Amino acid sequence: MSPVTFRSVRDLPPMSRSTDTMLWNRTGSWRFLRPRYQDKVAPCAEGCPAAEDIARIQILLGQGDFEAAWLRIREENPLPGVCGRVCYHPCETACNRGEYDDPVTVNSLERFLADHAWKLGLSPPPPEPAAGGGRVAVVGAGPAGLTAAYFLLRLGHEVDLFDAREEPGGLLRYGIPEYRLPLDALAWEVGLILNEGVRFHGNRRLGSDLTWDELSGYDAVFLAVGTWKPAPLGAEGEEHAQDGLTLLEAIRQGETPEVSGKVAVIGGGNTAMDVARSLLRLGAEPAVYYRRRLQDMPALPEEIQEAREEGIPFQTLLAPKRIEPLPQGGFRLVLTTMEILDEDEGGRPRAVPSGHPDVEVEVDAVVTAIGAGPSQGAPAEVTGEGLVAEGLHLKRIAPEGEWAARPPVLVGGDLVNDRKAVVTAIASGKEAALVIDTRLRGRDATSIWPSIRVGRKGGVSMNRYLSGDRAAQQDHVVRYDELNTIYFRFQERRERPRITLEERRTGFDEVKMRISASLALKESERCFHCGQCDQCDNCYLFCPDVSVLRDLRAGTREINYDYCKGCGVCVVECPRNAMILEEEPR
Amino acid sequence: MPIELPVHERMYSGHLACPGCGAAIAMRFLLKGLGEKAVLSIPACCWSIIGGPFPYTALQVPVLHTAFETGGAVASGIRAALDARGDTETQVVTWAGDGGTFDIGLQSLSGAAERNENILYVCYDNEAYMNTGVQSSGATPTGAWTTTTPTGSPKPTRKKDIMQIMAAHRIPYAATASIAYPEDMVRKVQKAVSLKGTKFLHVYAPCPTGWKVPSEISVKLARLAVQTRIFPLYEVEEGVRYTINLEPVGYLVDEYYRTQGRFKHLTREDLDRIQAQVDESWDRLKALARIG
Repeated sequence: MSPVTFRSVRDLPPMSRSTDTMLWNRTGSWRFLRPRYQDKVAPCAEGCPAAEDIARIQILLGQGDFEAAWLRIREENPLPGVCGRVCYHPCETACNRGEYDDPVTVNSLERFLADHAWKLGLSPPPPEPAAGGGRVAVVGAGPAGLTAAYFLLRLGHEVDLFDAREEPGGLLRYGIPEYRLPLDALAWEVGLILNEGVRFHGNRRLGSDLTWDELSGYDAVFLAVGTWKPAPLGAEGEEHAQDGLTLLEAIRQGETPEVSGKVAVIGGGNTAMDVARSLLRLGAEPAVYYRRRLQDMPALPEEIQEAREEGIPFQTLLAPKRIEPLPQGGFRLVLTTMEILDEDEGGRPRAVPSGHPDVEVEVDAVVTAIGAGPSQGAPAEVTGEGLVAEGLHLKRIAPEGEWAARPPVLVGGDLVNDRKAVVTAIASGKEAALVIDTRLRGRDATSIWPSIRVGRKGGVSMNRYLSGDRAAQQDHVVRYDELNTIYFRFQERRERPRITLEERRTGFDEVKMRISASLALKESERCFHCGQCDQCDNCYLFCPDVSVLRDLRAGTREINYDYCKGCGVCVVECPRNAMILEEEPR
Repeated sequence: MPIELPVHERMYSGHLACPGCGAAIAMRFLLKGLGEKAVLSIPACCWSIIGGPFPYTALQVPVLHTAFETGGAVASGIRAALDARGDTETQVVTWAGDGGTFDIGLQSLSGAAERNENILYVCYDNEAYMNTGVQSSGATPTGAWTTTTPTGSPKPTRKKDIMQIMAAHRIPYAATASIAYPEDMVRKVQKAVSLKGTKFLHVYAPCPTGWKVPSEISVKLARLAVQTRIFPLYEVEEGVRYTINLEPVGYLVDEYYRTQGRFKHLTREDLDRIQAQVDESWDRLKALARIG
């Protein structure tokens, strides 16, 4: 495209008429600022301990590519079907949409994708063989152990997964009730992990059926046996109380525990909710007693709300003092009346006796659910002093004394996590796999760590560790005020439907129903896709210089720097801050 | 919600508009709304330059570059010539700036409208004679700096209400449009070409150079003009039936004025006075829409 030239007057047309386009004029030379596509980190991805690339997952879901969206989750988390049911969804708390109307229901969409894959019997592509791996023992087949096994195998290691119980799943299998996490959904997802080649060994309890001598034969050990040991209640006559987790396990084993009549459930965490709601379904009359207030309960707000909807009474500011057996059977539970001080006590307000008279109730049984200690068989070192920090959700037993001669032992899951949750356990498992892989391949984990962390506060990304497309993401977390919200409109958050109260009170059917594809698509539409291009085309439409090139088939956009004058309109009109305007390099 | 527009592209890169030019964006949307067969008449304005010098063009439709005051007349002539040849299909469009519409070309536009010539007249409004170096026009708003209304004595009078003038001709269709609302603009172009008689579109097209604003906010400014009700989006059919297309949030005019260099000398009292003017115009428009 060179300028038209007229050699003589005779070449000129009789009137000044255009014969060529302006394309010879490379206006890109005017530019002193350069727009560029740049994916950034969405706050949900930073909020997720498993560092799921939620904005990209929503884009794929919105395009109807449910399988790709599901596989995208599994790059960072092998248990979307579990998390889509029981996660405390910090992603939703971080969601920018919360400042606009209500957060996107990321949690139910995650479950939708997993259920879709389950329903269609999809299976992920087999892991690619990688040479130079080692042999790793994973002790504890809960969410942390399963996740570690999944990633270790994919990173090319041989994995033996041990558990004290017969079947894998840990707390997911034996602690969380059926109405929150159906066994068949769990079994399918655990099966996907084991089918890839993880060797599972059940009924191998550490300390009795599994020795440190045997474990010393491995190149590395990941220990995630959980916290199943009941914590002491600290009340007189506490031997008369039953342990809530043991009760849940019995129910999950298919037994029908003999608990009936009025039952006092002591505690305010998710286990207390699980116990109370399970008892209700077994025909008992549970009531929850908690030493602080309703708003101080560590249980998920939706669990508390659902328990209350089901008619379970909550008695707060009451701490158990004494359990006395009654001659006619049953017990008298004496509770101290508490009050809240304006002081912090381990992240919660401090509760002290108020001086008001004690409260007495007559009950048929007392069940405790007040947190627990390391499971039987866990070495003493896991309770603090003997551990050194290794990651965000990971510790390591200090290689001192007898441990000096053993392979590195990494510790994760509820044993070490401040926030004991399924997703933090999954984060532990992933970090353990990363750390073990770096060690066995002679790489330095500490230097890799900053580059694979998603956002300043977020978890680590396996995609980034494997130099996937997320490695190109700018590690800037998009704030609400960095979005151009004019291109969004108010849309009601769609909560997932639930079965009727009557059904909930009388059976263990899953409370939250699966959502339909059309509902999932509608809800996914609400996602801002913060920091990630979803091909909305605003950059193309508003470009005064027709300098955004589109490949509609490949779904890609490119800036034509031959003509782009660098005005920056595209960057400002990008609704989701997936572009940046920077100084033109000289 | 993604914006949906016709995919065809009838403008080339390499044109001579300043970075962030609202008039260049407006031209893209006009061409997206026009059918395949159209001819443009462009009286003297920024686009006389933007389109490129002889022997080049930045557009894929025929263009006649014409004298400043002839927007209405040339289009009438082209229409008559096409009709004489039996071509009733080709759309004749005048694409003029605010100077060529509000001031210099007003007589020929009025004549064409009075005769109800079958043309579409589009005025892209950047609120001054930008091409010649920012001289005040009849479209320049109250309080604005231009080289002929310097900050010591900024434009004292109000922007001419061209829509009322055109409505008074009782033409079949007149509408305002903005580069910040492309779907609305394209719809209005399509509606205009579907009607017979004189159609008038008043398109808001910010000028980063003349308004003394960063080039990247030109679309954002156009949006703010709508949101503050300074430039409402509405249609007038047969000169009497008013329809307001978008009920704006009604941000204070400060939101719009404080971002622009051409207004930076304005005092609080000035802005309050301007707010009162905008409110009055909006109430009047609402009243007209109620009657219609």
